[in-house]
Amino acid sequence: MSLWTIAWKYLCGRRLASALTAVSVALGVSLILATFLLTRGIRAGFIAGTTDYSLIVGAKSSPTQLVLGTIFRLDVATPNIPYTVYEQLQDDERVERAVPVALGDAYQGFHYVGTTTDYFATAPWRRKNFSVAAGRFWDDDPPDQPSYEAVLGAEVAQRTGLQIGEAFYEGEEMAERPLRAVGILRPTHSADDRTIFFSLASYWDMNEVARAMAIKPLTTVLVRPKRLSDLTHLHREFNVNPETQAALPSAVLLTIFNLLSVAEEVLRFVLGAVVLVVLLYLFVALYSAMLERRREIATMRALGARRMTILVIVLLESCLIALIGGIIGLLGGHGVAVLGAHLLSQRGGLALAPFTVSTVHPLLLVGVILLGACAGLLPAVLAYRTEVAENLAPLS
Amino acid sequence: MLQRMSVFSLCLWLAMGTLLAYSDEVPRLTFAQLVDSLKANLEVTQKIKSYNGKEVEIQGFIIPAGPPDLSFFLLSRVSAIGNYCCELSTGQDETVYVYTAKGAQLFYDPLRVYKVRGLFEAGVHTDPAHGVSLFRLRQAHVEEAVGAKIMKIGDTPAAPR
Repeated sequence: MSLWTIAWKYLCGRRLASALTAVSVALGVSLILATFLLTRGIRAGFIAGTTDYSLIVGAKSSPTQLVLGTIFRLDVATPNIPYTVYEQLQDDERVERAVPVALGDAYQGFHYVGTTTDYFATAPWRRKNFSVAAGRFWDDDPPDQPSYEAVLGAEVAQRTGLQIGEAFYEGEEMAERPLRAVGILRPTHSADDRTIFFSLASYWDMNEVARAMAIKPLTTVLVRPKRLSDLTHLHREFNVNPETQAALPSAVLLTIFNLLSVAEEVLRFVLGAVVLVVLLYLFVALYSAMLERRREIATMRALGARRMTILVIVLLESCLIALIGGIIGLLGGHGVAVLGAHLLSQRGGLALAPFTVSTVHPLLLVGVILLGACAGLLPAVLAYRTEVAENLAPLS
Repeated sequence: MLQRMSVFSLCLWLAMGTLLAYSDEVPRLTFAQLVDSLKANLEVTQKIKSYNGKEVEIQGFIIPAGPPDLSFFLLSRVSAIGNYCCELSTGQDETVYVYTAKGAQLFYDPLRVYKVRGLFEAGVHTDPAHGVSLFRLRQAHVEEAVGAKIMKIGDTPAAPR
């Protein structure tokens, strides 16, 4: 019988205690892995979902609100700016492309965005490509002839069940002006998957106040300068203006990442404490198991087992518990990450990849086994030093 | 006696090593030098071009013009957020396009001066993703510059070491 088999049989001999110890290891590992996957995933989700435009111009408010509202639709829209801001940017010779964005209400929780077809246009500097999986894009209609045609984000179509040609609206006042789905976008893995797009003319005509306005309102303008070195000048000009502000999307995201790293630091301490508790639990479990088995160990020694063999058996037991707990923990960690990713995707609009496997997985498993071996070291040494004569004495 | 000589020669080697390491320090370019090097039609002087392909250090503010992993960003004399009250833009190109090898892991502060080292390139270059640039640093490494001074236009630039 190999030493592995003996260690396994010992574990099976006290099934409940071994299972509980493995579960405690699994809980610790899943907590560590889920935290790692989710914190890394949130960053990756923000990076993947961000805009290709270098500057966002909107009304005076917080830059974070401007970026989270416009790009990720995670915050309420900033106040309106006049359409003339967009015209001014379009006429600016330093600007390669300016795209107006008007944030509106929502249909079943999916935001309305009024914009122009430039929003979907490709460019060498764009990572994001928009294409329709079904139907077509709408055309830029003149302000007095709104088409009420809408293009649905991939998730909108999937979750609302809206089909091409189908009319839809939310709220009694919108019954006279329903939107009609003309296209469904392919997934972009960004907040655009959860958005309903239509023309600015339709956006203005939907709203009673906007209909009456001579200068139409917008929420923000996305800007790409011809030369990025002009970015600082444009940024400064719109911020010095008392009515507008400009924000660099990446600067805002980096500030959010700074806050995340503070939270990660705190989490690291908490996880360190978790590792310590699990180690202690593993140690206590193995130690008490060893104390219970002193007589058996003495018998094995009397039958010819060497001290080193006893030490290795106890160490193998602790490694086996750590391995089983580690594997269950890896699976559990991914399970928790999937749940977290689902919640973040539904409520936060961030697309996370919770199934990503990296070098962290084998490292975590090896680390758990090594820590398991460390926790089993003292009980193993005690087993190694078990005296045959003392422990084989009659119990009475 | 022999032991004393060995200790003495070891000290001598250490001192020489330190001196050599100091002399290997990369030259620092200032924004004042970069702006001074600009000529008509987006041309730059031969003096600044002589640094092409060499590792240099430039200190400035980070303008995150690219993705938030900072695999690309602009290094500027002027902060993206501060200085609205007291300093006007010169209208000149006061930015360096920085390409980092694996993105930069740092605590981003728009009001902090960063020290960037990388392979320097001067002269017009068009990149489909980032457009036209005059000055670039490739394979760059970023770290905070403690107590750094940004040279303004009109300041006397320190001679590069």
